[in-house]
Amino acid sequence: MTSNTQSIGIVGAGIMGRLLALELKWQGHTVTLFDRNDRDGRGSCSWTGAGMIAPYCELEAAERMITELGVYSAQRWPKLIKKFAEPVFYHSRGSLVVAHPNDRNELERLRRRVIDNAPRPDIMEEVDGARLGELEPELAGRFPQGLFFPFEQHMANRDLLRAMGKTLETEGVKFVTGFTTQTISSGEISDGHSTHTFDRVIDCRGMGAKSDLPELRGVRGELFYLHAPEVNLSRPVRLMHPRYSIYIVPRPNNEYVVGATAIESDDDRNVTVRSSLELLSAAYTVHTGFAEARVKEASVACRPAFPDNHPRIHTADGLIRVNGLYRHGFLIAPALSEFIASYIQTGAIPEKGKTLFREA
Amino acid sequence: MWKLADKELTNRLIQGTAQYPSPEILCESIRASGAEVVTIALRRQSPKDKAGARFWELIRGLGVHVLPNTAGCRTVKEAVTTAQMARDLFGTSWIKLEVIGDDYTLQPDTTALVEAARILVKDGFEVLPYTTEDLIVAQCLVDAGCRVVMPWGAYIGSAQGLTNKFALMTLRKRLPDTTLIVDAGLGKPSEAAHAMELGYDGVLVNTAIALAKDPVSMARAFGDAVRAGRAAYEAGLITPREMAAPSTPTIGQPFWHSERRE
Ligand SMILES: Cc1cc2nc3c(=O)[nH]c(=O)nc-3n(C[C@H](O)[C@H](O)[C@H](O)COP(=O)(O)OP(=O)(O)OC[C@H]3O[C@@H](n4cnc5c(N)ncnc54)[C@H](O)[C@@H]3O)c2cc1C
Repeated sequence: MTSNTQSIGIVGAGIMGRLLALELKWQGHTVTLFDRNDRDGRGSCSWTGAGMIAPYCELEAAERMITELGVYSAQRWPKLIKKFAEPVFYHSRGSLVVAHPNDRNELERLRRRVIDNAPRPDIMEEVDGARLGELEPELAGRFPQGLFFPFEQHMANRDLLRAMGKTLETEGVKFVTGFTTQTISSGEISDGHSTHTFDRVIDCRGMGAKSDLPELRGVRGELFYLHAPEVNLSRPVRLMHPRYSIYIVPRPNNEYVVGATAIESDDDRNVTVRSSLELLSAAYTVHTGFAEARVKEASVACRPAFPDNHPRIHTADGLIRVNGLYRHGFLIAPALSEFIASYIQTGAIPEKGKTLFREA
Repeated sequence: MWKLADKELTNRLIQGTAQYPSPEILCESIRASGAEVVTIALRRQSPKDKAGARFWELIRGLGVHVLPNTAGCRTVKEAVTTAQMARDLFGTSWIKLEVIGDDYTLQPDTTALVEAARILVKDGFEVLPYTTEDLIVAQCLVDAGCRVVMPWGAYIGSAQGLTNKFALMTLRKRLPDTTLIVDAGLGKPSEAAHAMELGYDGVLVNTAIALAKDPVSMARAFGDAVRAGRAAYEAGLITPREMAAPSTPTIGQPFWHSERRE
């Protein structure tokens, strides 16, 4: 099944399913995308995600492999976004990492991890209070030191999902919403009423694939959308703390995403008071202007993860499953979708992604 | 062989399970250190719905004893409720009792700790309390029915080592029949070895392994250090000598030469 045009059915329209649908469409395949939810992606993990493309900051907890996939994806994002039918709030202004004086060892730990794992020295700049004030004037005098990662990016994930939804339409991808898949098998997708057949099926259901992927687990993440007229930050700011590390990611019009918790749990019910206290008080210590901010939304999702917290691409005849994007969906999806598209096109596992593939 | 409460164990390292880069690395670290007891926090994982079940299954798959803890609890009531949930969930009456009095340092609230220990012991729990190095508090915990007491080396996660070695030695001397575990604050394997040389029955380590550049190798190093420290303790350490002033004439030097200076 490596002829040049195939009919492909994709289940799951989060970041992974959407990007893959477009990528395969651009390669000339006939693509149908299914999701149980709506066109905008509500209810997906991607709807909640903060939209940072931070291959180096993520070294705080992730391994080098994620950084490599992220660096590769970060090169692809601007080009992909240009091809979308609607604009996306997207910036590459880098990101800042700060810590309160007592917690400066947390900065030092990240600095060392980056030095140990990063390909080039220029990806991280150690900044003092003055330089920090140049980068983010409203943080002047608040922190004596920090780290600046000039090549990191951020985007509004919900803009992105919407723009991709629109692009799917203009590119002629059939997008079936409100379709809750019951069974997925080689070449077949069924919701219990109707069965659709394809040359190949791709399962991108995230946590929705749990029953078919016994090793998949959820890592609960909670975050807030705040409208803070008194806060003006132009790039993501991370606060390192021994327990309550947070990030603040700008959106247009003085809106900010403040996140996120990481709890070993499949529970995706409402945000808890404890998490709210932690996230919001940490945000307040970064900028007191958050005191008068309006809470627009508290959002929760479980990040789909395998035991090693690395993504996997399972391949079998007529069926591919991509999952385990964990806390890196936006960061790594462009790399994964390119690997999968290349695999479908050539039948060969691409060298760059070979550790991710598992053949049945 | 040694005994932690009623369990026969060979390894004297107890490992925490938080902050690892991934569950897989956590599991490999536990295999590398040989730890037979691991602590698990359940406070935030919606235990009633078994929402964190996948994570626990991975750890259970290692065949280790699970020591649930009440991390994050700030009051007697919270700690007692959490302990009861843990008993239902993990089917063990062991509980590592933490009642936190200060949010930044995670210093235990020792007054509440003793009270919670009393309640839980009465309720049939095997209570392993996380406490400071204070002798009187430790004595109260023993009086409350704790067979194991776990004083800190330093603040949780601080990697400061044994900041009050003298008090830890006092505890060991004064509570010879209590199982004593140094819990929290260890940053280096040498510090773990040191605690074992003082005659402690075991050590509990989390952050120093989880956040190491290579957690698996660090786990192995801690396992080795704990074994070395214990072996040294059992072998009988010699008493350090005061070598500043020679006690006998140094060979080749006339004896009045050294005497004259006194
Ligand atoms: C709080 C938080 C913050 C995050 N921040 C970032 C960040 O800054 N940067 C980053 O890179 N990553 C971040 N992430 C991670 C990122 O959001 C995820 O890795 C990513 O969204 C996973 O994408 P996915 O497409 O695999 O899954 P999902 O987005 O969950 O998509 C799966 C889709 O499948 C559909 N589906 C499931 N089951 C069925 C079924 N039976 N039938 C039909 N459809 C079905 C769902 O409706 C959903 O639309 C964050 C995650 C969280 C929770």
